[in-house]
Amino acid sequence: MKPRVMERGKRSRHVLAYALVLTALLLFPLPGHAYAGPGAGFAVLSSFWSLFVAFLYSAYAFLVWPFRQVFRFFRRRKAYGKASVQRAIILGFDGMDPELTERFMASGKLPNLAKLREKGTFRKLRTTYPPISPVAWSTFMTGVNPGKHNIYDFLARDLRNYMPFLSSAEIKGPKRSLKIGKYKIPLGGARIKGMRRGIPFWHRLGDAGIFCSVIRVPVTFPPEKFPGVLLSGMCVPDLKGSQGTFCLCTTRGDVDKFREGGVRVAVERSGNLCRSYVPGPDDPLTAGSSRELRLEFEFRLDPSKHQASFSVDSQKFKLKVSEYSPWIPVKFRAGLGFSAHGICRFYLKSISPEVEVYVTPVNIDPANPDLPVSHPVTYAIYLAKLFGPYATLGLAEDTWALNEEVLDDDAFLAQCYANHEDRERMLFDALEKTRRGLCVCVFDTTDRVQHMFWRYLENDHPAARGIPVSERPTVIEDLYQRVDTLIGRVTEQIDDKTLLMIVSDHGFKSFARGVNLNAWLHQNGYIALREGSAESGDWFENVDWSRTRAYTMGLNGLYLNLKGREREGTVQPGAEAEALKKELQQKLAGLVDPPSGQVGITRVFDCDAVYAGPYVSNAPDLIVGYGEGFRASWDSVMGKVTSHVFEDNVKAWSGDHCIDPQHVPGVLFCNCKIAEDKPAIVDVAPTMLKLFGLELPGYLDGRPWNVAGSSE
Amino acid sequence: MTSPGTNLPAAIVCAISFVVGLLTVAVFRYVSDQNAIRTAKDRLKAHLLALRLFQDQIPVVLRSYVRILLATGHYLRLALKPLLVVVVPLTFLIAEVDRFFGVMPVQAGHAFLVKAHADNRETLNKLNLQLPDGLVSTAPAVHVPSHREVVWRLVGEHAGDYSVQIKSSDEPGLNKSVVIGTGLSRLSPVRLKGQLWKRIFLSAEPPVPESCAIQSVEVLYPSREINFAGLTWNWIWLFLVVSLAAGFLFKSLLGIEI
Repeated sequence: MKPRVMERGKRSRHVLAYALVLTALLLFPLPGHAYAGPGAGFAVLSSFWSLFVAFLYSAYAFLVWPFRQVFRFFRRRKAYGKASVQRAIILGFDGMDPELTERFMASGKLPNLAKLREKGTFRKLRTTYPPISPVAWSTFMTGVNPGKHNIYDFLARDLRNYMPFLSSAEIKGPKRSLKIGKYKIPLGGARIKGMRRGIPFWHRLGDAGIFCSVIRVPVTFPPEKFPGVLLSGMCVPDLKGSQGTFCLCTTRGDVDKFREGGVRVAVERSGNLCRSYVPGPDDPLTAGSSRELRLEFEFRLDPSKHQASFSVDSQKFKLKVSEYSPWIPVKFRAGLGFSAHGICRFYLKSISPEVEVYVTPVNIDPANPDLPVSHPVTYAIYLAKLFGPYATLGLAEDTWALNEEVLDDDAFLAQCYANHEDRERMLFDALEKTRRGLCVCVFDTTDRVQHMFWRYLENDHPAARGIPVSERPTVIEDLYQRVDTLIGRVTEQIDDKTLLMIVSDHGFKSFARGVNLNAWLHQNGYIALREGSAESGDWFENVDWSRTRAYTMGLNGLYLNLKGREREGTVQPGAEAEALKKELQQKLAGLVDPPSGQVGITRVFDCDAVYAGPYVSNAPDLIVGYGEGFRASWDSVMGKVTSHVFEDNVKAWSGDHCIDPQHVPGVLFCNCKIAEDKPAIVDVAPTMLKLFGLELPGYLDGRPWNVAGSSE
Repeated sequence: MTSPGTNLPAAIVCAISFVVGLLTVAVFRYVSDQNAIRTAKDRLKAHLLALRLFQDQIPVVLRSYVRILLATGHYLRLALKPLLVVVVPLTFLIAEVDRFFGVMPVQAGHAFLVKAHADNRETLNKLNLQLPDGLVSTAPAVHVPSHREVVWRLVGEHAGDYSVQIKSSDEPGLNKSVVIGTGLSRLSPVRLKGQLWKRIFLSAEPPVPESCAIQSVEVLYPSREINFAGLTWNWIWLFLVVSLAAGFLFKSLLGIEI
C-alpha cells in the first residue's frame, strides 16, 4: 500500500505544480505566452490536426450512416433476417489435443472448458488428410477438401526439378525493372500470388453485410480483399522471404549455416566492443547476382553487470544476459532511396567465454509493411499503433532456434508467450469492435509449445533422456491452463446471444521415432541412387531419377515418378501407376519398427480416393499415415536418402501430428448444444453460413451442424 | 525589392528562430518522456484509423471519437512538462527580441505622440513636457480628462537617443527615452509605475517612482514590418514559422519525438 500512497502523493504534487504554472500563465496573458517554441507548437498543431481529421471522419461517418444503413438493411435482411445468431466467436487453438484436454479437465485444471462441456458441447473434431495445419485450416475456412483448395502440405514439389517450394504463396520480384549498368531498379512492388483456392466463409458473410474480424488464421497470406478486417497468419514470410531465418551472432569459429532455419554470423570483438550484423533481404538493385543487405550493429559488454549496451540503427538499449529486447524497428538500406523495413528482437545469450547474441527472424514491420500482411493494409498498422510492434511472421515462435539449441527452453517460452499476449490483446480488441458479426482468432502457441515440449510428458522420450522425471517442467499443462484462463476471460465478455466455438485443427502425439521413407523406398528398390552412392544428400542430390519409381518429400506425401508429369518420370500413368500405388499401400501399411515391434505406419491413403476436386492433380499420389510415436524423419522431409529407415528423434521438436488422422483429431467446444456425433473441421464453414442464414453453395464438402439455442 | 540593409532584421530573426528551433527541440528531447509521447501519438493514430476501419459501426466510431479526445488530452499533458521548461526562458527571450523588432524608431522629420497617464484628473493640468535639443513639439498638448491622459505631438529633427522630461509643478521631473532614427535599437515604448509583469514584457526602463503622480509615459513608435520571402511579416509570425520549420528539420534529423 505504501508505495501506492507515495505514488499518489507524487502525482498530486505534479498536478498541483502544473495547475499553478497554468494559472500563472492564464493570469498574466501576454503575447509572448501564445507561442512557446516548436515543441509546444507541434504538440498543439498535431493535436488540432488529429481532432480535425477525427471530426472529418466522424462527420463523414454520421452523414453517410443513414444511406449505408438503408443500403445494408436490404443486404442484411438476407443475412441477419434468417440468422439464428447475431454474433459468433471462433477461437482456434492450433494443435489443441482432445485427450490432453480431457485429462486436464478430469483433474480440475481447466474449469472454464469443463463448464463449456457441461453447458454446451465437447467433441473430437475430425481433421484432414493429412492432419497438417495449412491443410486443416484451409479446409476450416473454405469448407472443402484439399482437392478443392489445393493445399496438401507446407511444401509442394516443382515437377521440373523435384525441388520444394512453399505451397501457400509465391512471391516474385516486380514485373518490370530498369537496368542501368550493374543496377536493376524495380518498377513496382513485389508480386504475391496466393496458391490456396476456395472461398473462405467470411468472404460470403462479408458480402452479405455481416462484419467479420479475422486474426491470424493460417494460410491467409496474401490477404484477400473482403468486406471486413483480416490479419494474415501462418505462411507470412519474414523480410528475407523465408518462413523464418534466425541469426546467431557469435564469436565461435564455426560460422556457417544451421541445418534448419538459421544462420551464424561472426562477431568481431575488440576489448569489450563487439560488432556484427543482421542479414537482411537480397538487394533489389543488384542485377543477376543476389547480394544480401545487412544491418550492422555494435554492442559494448559490461562483464561486471552481465549486460551489454546495444546500438542498432540509431536505437540504443541495454540487455542483461538471458534477456530479450523489445521489438526493434530496423531498416535495410539498398541505396537510391530503396529500403526494407522490419522488426526483430535481440537476445543476449552469453558474454563469456563466448559472446553470443540471438536475433529473431526479421519480421515485416506491421507499422510500415513492405508486403501486405492484412486487409485492409491499414488494419496491421492500426494494431501496431494501438499495441506496439508485434510478430507478423507466420511461424513466429522460433522452433528452429530451440531445435538447434540456440535458445533454451525458457527463452523459447518467453518468446512464445510474448506473442501469445499480443494475440490476446488483438482478440479482445476485435471482440470490442465486433459486437455483431463474426470474430475468428487463431492462437499458434498451443501448437508450438506442444511440438517442443512433448518430450517432458513421456518417461522415455529420446529427446528427454537423462532428465529426471521430477525435474521436468509442466510446460504443456501450464499451456492448457493458460488457454483455459483466456477462454474464461472471453466467456465473461459475451452475452447469451453470442455463439462461442473453440476449435483445433488437429491433436498431438509423441514424435519419438523418425521414419525415413526415402531410405525404405531405396532399400525396397523404388528409389535408385547414382552409381557408387549409398546415400543421398538433401533434395535427392544423388538420386538417379531415370531408375526411380517413387519418392517422398515434405511430411506425409508420397509421389510416384510419373511419366509425362515429373521431368524424368518412369512410371506409366494408368494401370502401372495404380498397381504401384496398391503395392506401396500394401507394403507400407503396418510397417514395423524392429526394435520395439511398434507399427510405424498404420495406413496409406490413395489421394484419388480421399480427395475430389479440380486440384487433385497437384496432390501427392499417396498420403502416409504414421503410427502414434512416429513421423517422417527430419532427413526424409528434406528429400534425403539415408541407410537406416527408423531412427530416434532426439530434437526438442518432440511432439507432432503429421500422422494417421485417426490418431490426432482436434477439439470442438461450443457454448451451444451441437447434435452431431462425429463433427469434422470441414463442417465449420457450412455451419457458420447456416447460422448466419446464408444459402450453402453446392460445392461445399462439409455438412452444417444442428446447433441448438444458447447454453443459457 | 528591399535593399540589403532592410533585410537585416529578417536575417537576424531567422537566425534566432533557427537556433531557438534547435534548442527547444533538443530540450524537448531531454525533458520529455519520449517513449510515452511516441505511445500516445501511436494510440491517437490508431483511434483515427479505427474511425476508417470500422466506419459502418456507429458505436465503434463514437467510442473512437471519445478515445481520440482522451488521447489528445493525454498527449498534450505529456507535452506540457517540456513546455513548462521552455516557456519561461522563451518568454523572456521573446520579450527581449520584441524590444528590437516589435517596434521601430521614429524617423527624423516624422511626427509621433508621447502620452502621459496621470494618477488623477487634477494632475493633468500641472504636467508639462520639457524637450531636449533636436525634438520639437508641433502642436499644443491635448488633455483627455476621461482617460486621465495628456498627449503631445513631437517631431525629431535629427537621429539620436533623446530623453524627454515630464514635470509636475510640485514634483521632480520624470524622464522617458525617445529614439529617433532608422536602424535597429533596443526600444522601450513605455515607462510604468508598478505592474511588474507588464514592465518585464513592455518596458526597458526603471519603474516610475511610487511618489510620482504619473502612472505611465508612452512613446507611440511605429510597428516594425519585416520583408521576407515576398511577404511583409510581423516578427513574431516569422519567428513562429521559421522556428517551427527548424524544429521540424531537427526533430527529423535527430529522431526526436514531439
